[in-house]
Amino acid sequence: MDLPLLSALFAAFALLLYVVLDGFDLGVGALLLLPSDERVRDRMVDSVVPIWDGNETWLIMAGVTLLAAFPVAYGILLPAFYLPLIVMLLALGLRGVSFEFRMQTERMRRAWDIAFSLGSIVAALMQGLIVGGLIQGIAVDGEHFGGSVFDVFRPFCLLVSLAVLSGYVVLGAGWLHLKGTAALRAFAERILHTAVPAYLGLASVSTAAATLVQPQMLAAWSAHMTLLSAIALLFLLLAITLWRAIGGRSDGRPLFLGLALFVLGIAGLGVAVFPDIVPYRLSLWDAASSSQSQVFVLLGAAIVTPIVLSYSAFAYYVFRGKTPEQGWEI
Amino acid sequence: MSFDPAILARVQFAFTVSFHIIFPTISIGLAMFLAIVEGLWLKTRDPLYFQIYRFWLGIFAMAFGVGVVTGIVLSFEFGLGFAKFGQMAGPAIGPMIALEVLTSFFLEAGFLGIMLFGLNRVGPRLHFFATCMVALGTLFSASWILSANSWMQTPDGVAVQNGHLVVTDWLKVIVNPSWLYRLPHMLAAAYITGSFLVSGVGAWYLLRGEHIEFGKRTVSMGMGFATVLIALQVFLGDILYGTMLKYQPAKMQAAEGFWDKQSESPAPYYWIIVPDQKSQRNRFALGTPYLGSIWLTHSLHGRVEGLGNTPPDLQPQMGIVFYGFRIMYGIAILMFSLAVASLWLRWRGRLFSTRWFLRILVVMTPSGVLATLGGWYVAETGRQPWVIYNILRTADAVSPVPAGVLLSTLIAFVCVYALFMAAFLIFAGRMIKRGPKDAPAYAEASGSLKPALKPGMANGATRNAAVTE
Ligand code: HDD
Ligand code: HEM
Ligand code: HEM
Repeated sequence: MDLPLLSALFAAFALLLYVVLDGFDLGVGALLLLPSDERVRDRMVDSVVPIWDGNETWLIMAGVTLLAAFPVAYGILLPAFYLPLIVMLLALGLRGVSFEFRMQTERMRRAWDIAFSLGSIVAALMQGLIVGGLIQGIAVDGEHFGGSVFDVFRPFCLLVSLAVLSGYVVLGAGWLHLKGTAALRAFAERILHTAVPAYLGLASVSTAAATLVQPQMLAAWSAHMTLLSAIALLFLLLAITLWRAIGGRSDGRPLFLGLALFVLGIAGLGVAVFPDIVPYRLSLWDAASSSQSQVFVLLGAAIVTPIVLSYSAFAYYVFRGKTPEQGWEI
Repeated sequence: MSFDPAILARVQFAFTVSFHIIFPTISIGLAMFLAIVEGLWLKTRDPLYFQIYRFWLGIFAMAFGVGVVTGIVLSFEFGLGFAKFGQMAGPAIGPMIALEVLTSFFLEAGFLGIMLFGLNRVGPRLHFFATCMVALGTLFSASWILSANSWMQTPDGVAVQNGHLVVTDWLKVIVNPSWLYRLPHMLAAAYITGSFLVSGVGAWYLLRGEHIEFGKRTVSMGMGFATVLIALQVFLGDILYGTMLKYQPAKMQAAEGFWDKQSESPAPYYWIIVPDQKSQRNRFALGTPYLGSIWLTHSLHGRVEGLGNTPPDLQPQMGIVFYGFRIMYGIAILMFSLAVASLWLRWRGRLFSTRWFLRILVVMTPSGVLATLGGWYVAETGRQPWVIYNILRTADAVSPVPAGVLLSTLIAFVCVYALFMAAFLIFAGRMIKRGPKDAPAYAEASGSLKPALKPGMANGATRNAAVTE
C-alpha cells in the first residue's frame, strides 16, 4: 500500500475540514467589526461559540499529521512561513480568548470585539499568504529551508491572501444567513451581495496570476487542461448559483454553495501541485517518515476519525437551528 | 547587538510552554472537580452542588480558552523554532501528538460547547456525560503529551538510520522508561493544583463571612482531595526521583547543589546556593547539617554525588534546576503540613473557623501552579544540553531563522500573553469577588434545569450574567 499517499490524503482531509469549518467562523469574526448594534454582535458570536474550538482543532490535526508523516517537509515549511505562522497564531490566540473575555465585560466588550475581528482578519490574511507562498514556491537547500523568512511578503501572495479573506467572508455571511434571524439575516444578505463578486474576482485574478509568477503552474494547466478547466467552470457556475440564492427561501443554500466553492478551489490546487508536498521541490515520498510512523498515524486515524466526526456532528446538532435571540443559557 | 538564535529560540519556547502549562494544570484539575461536583449534584440533588458547579465552570471556561490558544502555538513551535528537532523527532513524537489530537483535543472541543452552553438543550444527564468527556479528554491529553515528552527524556524503541530516526518498537516508544512515573506525578500535580485553588477561594469567603455554605463545602472538598493527593504525590515524587537519578544522574546532581564528585560527610541539605558554573563551585551555600545525608542516602554520614561527575560540557545549568526543585519540594512540604493540620482541625470540628489556617489557604491558592512550573524547570532544564537525551543536542536542533526575527516575535509573544494573563486575572478576580449566584430553586425539586432556565423564569439571570456565573 502507498502509505505516504494515504497520509497525504488524511492531511489534505484535515486541512480541507479546517478551511471550510474555521473558514466560516473566521468569516463571522471578520464581519464583527461592521454591525454597530451590540445585540447583533452578540448573536454573531453566539452562533459560533459552541463549535469554534472543534473547528480549529482541524488545524492542529493537519499540522501534526505533517510532523508525524512528513517530518522533512515540516522542517522546511514551518521556518519558511515563520512570520505568517507566528502572526497567525497570535491572531488566532487573540480571537480565541475574546470568545471568553468579551462576555465578562459590558464596558469593554466593544474593545474585545475589535480584537476578535482583527484577529480573525489577520489570521485569514496570513493563511492566504501561506497559500500564496506555496504556489509561488520556496527556496530549499538540501533538507532545509534555504530562503529568507521575508520571502513570503510578495505581491502575488498578498493577492492570494485577499482572495482567501474574501472567501472566508462569503462563508461567514453564508453561516449567518443560515443561523441568523431578522436583522442578522438581513445583514448577511447585504454582505453576500458584495462579498460574492469580490471573491469571484479575486479568485480568478489569483488563478491567472499564478501562471505568471510560477511557470510550473502553467505547466500544470497544460498537463491537466480538461480537469482544471472543468473545476474552473464549475466554480463559476456555483458562484452564480450562490449569488442567486442570497435572500432566498433556503437559509442554508448560500453556505453550502460557499463550502462547495472552497472544496473546488482546494481540489484545483491539489491537482496542480500533486504529488509535491513542498511544491516543485519535494514529493510526498521523499519527505515521508518511515513506514512504522505512517502506519501508526493511519491506523489511529482510521479508527478514531469516524468517532470524532460523529460526536462533532452531534455537537452541531445540539446547537442546530437559529441562534436564539436571548443567547445560549447555561 | 548580536544574539545567539539558539538562545532566543530556547527562551521563546521556554516562555510559551511555561505560559501554556499554567492553564492546562488548572483545566485538568478543575475539569475533574467539575465532573465530581456535577455527579454529586445528580446523585444528591443538593442545589449547593449546582451552585458550586456553575461558579467554577466560569473560571474553568476562561482557563480552558487560554489553554487552547497557547497550546495551538506550541504544536507549531516544534517546527518554527526547532526545525531540525521536528525533522528528527517527528517520526516518534509526531504520531503520539497526532493521536493526542484525535483522542483528546477533539473530545474536549466537541463536548466543551455542550458543557458550557448546552445544559438547557440536552438536560442534566447528557450534560454530565459531556463534563465527564471533557475531563477524560484532559486526562488523555496529559497522557499522550507526557509520553512524547518522556520519550525525549528517556528515548527508547528507535534507531538512527542515515540521519533519520526510525521507530523499531512502538510499545517501547510510548511506554518509555520514565513515562509511567512522570504521568501520575503530573496528573496528581494538576489535581492538587485544582484542590488548592478551590480551597483558597472557599477559605476567602469564609474569612469574609460571605457565601458561608459554599465556602464550607468547597474548603471541605478541596482539602479532602488535597490531603489524599499530596500524600500520594510525595510518594510518587520519591519514586520519580529514583527513576531520574538512574537515567539522568546529572539532573539530580544539579538539583542537590553539590559540585564535588563526592560531597563531604555528613552532607548538609542545601536551601540556598549561589552556583558558579564556570569555576564549578558554589560561591555561597546555606543548608541544614546532616539532613542531606539522611534524606538522600538514608544514613547519618552518607556522601552525595555532585555535578562534577558529569563533564562540564554535558552539565545542565545548576541554578535553575536547583531552585526549580527547591520550589517544588518546598511547596510540597508546606502542602503536606497543611494536609496534616486540616485532618486535625477537621477532627476537632474547627476546619471552617480557624482563621490562621484559612488565611494560609488563601495564600496557597496559586501554590500548585508554582510547584508545577518548578517541577517542569527541573525536568526540562535538567536534561540540557540534550533536547532528545543522548541523541540530539538542543543547539543542533534550531531553525534557520535570524536572531532579529526571533527577538521580535518573542517580544510579540510577551506582549500578547501579558494581555491574556492580565485579562484572565482581572476577570477571574471579578468573578470571585462577585461570588456564586444562587442556584435556581428548581434544581432541587425536579433535577432538571429545563423549567429553571426557561427564558423569563431564570431567576432574573440575564444572558450575560448566566454565562458569567
Ligand atoms: C500535562 C498536560 C499538558 C502538557 C504538558 C501540555 N499540554 Fe497542551 N493542553 C493540555 C495539556 C497539556 C490540555 C489539558 O489538554 C489543554 C489545556 C486546555 C485545553 O484546552 O486543553 C491543552 C491544550 C493544547 C492545545 C489546544 C487543544 C485544543 O484545541 O483543544 C494544543 C495544540 C496543545 N495543548 C499542544 C501542546 C504541546 C505541543 C505541548 C508541549 C510542548 C503541550 N500542549 C503541553
Ligand atoms: C508544559 C510543561 C513544560 C514546561 C514548563 C517546559 C519547560 C521548558 C523549558 C524551560 C525549556 C527550555 C530549557 C532550556 O533551554 O534550558 C524547554 C525546552 C523544550 N521542551 Fe519543554 N516544557 C514543558 C513540556 C514540554 C513537552 C510536553 C514537550 C514535548 C512533548 C516539550 C518539549 C521541549 C522542547 C522541544 C524544548 C526545546 C529545546 C530546548 O530548549 O531544550 N516540553 N521546555
Ligand atoms: C516530595 C515531593 C516531591 C518530589 C520528591 C518530587 C520529585 C520530582 C522530580 C524528581 C521531578 C523531575 C522529573 C523529571 O526530571 O522528569 C519532578 C517533576 C515534576 N514535579 Fe515533582 N516532586 C514532588 C512534589 C511535587 C508537587 C507537590 C507538585 C505539584 C503540585 C509537583 C509537580 C511536578 C511537575 C509538574 C513536574 C514536571 C513533570 C515531570 O517531569 O513529570 N511535584 N518532581
